[in-house]
Amino acid sequence: MAGNRLFVRRRDGRIEVRLNEAGREIAREAFGRVVIAERDPDHVWHAGLNAPIDPSSDVDDPVSTLSRQNEIATNAELAIMTLNEQFLNEGEAWAWLSTFQLALRSTAVANGLVSDEKLDAASPVVLDFVRTLQQFLFSLAECL
Amino acid sequence: MRRLTTESDVTTEKFVATERPWNVVVWDDPVTPMSVVVLVFKKIFGYSNNKCTELMLKVHHEGRAIVWSGQRNRAESYCVKLQVAGLQSTIELDK
Repeated sequence: MAGNRLFVRRRDGRIEVRLNEAGREIAREAFGRVVIAERDPDHVWHAGLNAPIDPSSDVDDPVSTLSRQNEIATNAELAIMTLNEQFLNEGEAWAWLSTFQLALRSTAVANGLVSDEKLDAASPVVLDFVRTLQQFLFSLAECL
Repeated sequence: MRRLTTESDVTTEKFVATERPWNVVVWDDPVTPMSVVVLVFKKIFGYSNNKCTELMLKVHHEGRAIVWSGQRNRAESYCVKLQVAGLQSTIELDK
C-alpha cells in the first residue's frame, strides 16, 4: 500500500511529499485561502477560522484571539513556503496538517455542512474538495 | 455568671472557597477525520493513545467532550491550540 500513500515517513524522520502537480495545486489553493481568510473579515472562510473561544462572554480575550490569528497565519505561511518541497521536517508537516484541517473545517462551516446528511447533499464540487482534503489528512496523520 | 464549660458560645463554620475549574470542550463535526482528532489530542495534551481515542470517540458519539479542566488562562491557551489545529473547541465554566 505504500505506493498509494500521499505522504511517507522516511527512515531519517523526514516526511516525503508524493503529491503530483494537481495535488500540490489543491494544497496551494487551500493554504492560500486560509492566509487570505484570516486577514479578510469578509472572506467566506473567516467565520470558520474565528469561532468564539468563550461563547458565554460577549468578547473573547484579545490576547488569546491575537495568539490564534498569529499561529494560524504562521502555519499557513510556512505551508505555502514549503509547498514545492519534496521532503518536510516534523514542524513543517504539522503546519501542513493544521492548515489542511483548517481549510477542511472552514469549507464545512461556509457551506453549512453541519451533519452527515448535509455533507451527503453537498454539491459535487464542494464534496470533491472535502474528500480530497480528507485524503491528504488521512495520509499525513499516519506519518506524524 | 460562671462558665461551666470551656466550649465557645460562638459557633464558626469552616469552609474552603474553591474556584470552579474551566473546561476545554471539543465539538464534533462531520468532516474531520478521526485519526486527525487523536493526533491533535496527543500532540497538544500528551495523553496516551488510549485516552486520546477514548476522548475522540466521546466527541464522535456524544457531540462534545471535555478534554481538559483547570485554570482559565491555561484552558484558553489549550483552546487556542486546538483551534489553530483546526478543531472546533470552546471553554466553559464547570457546572
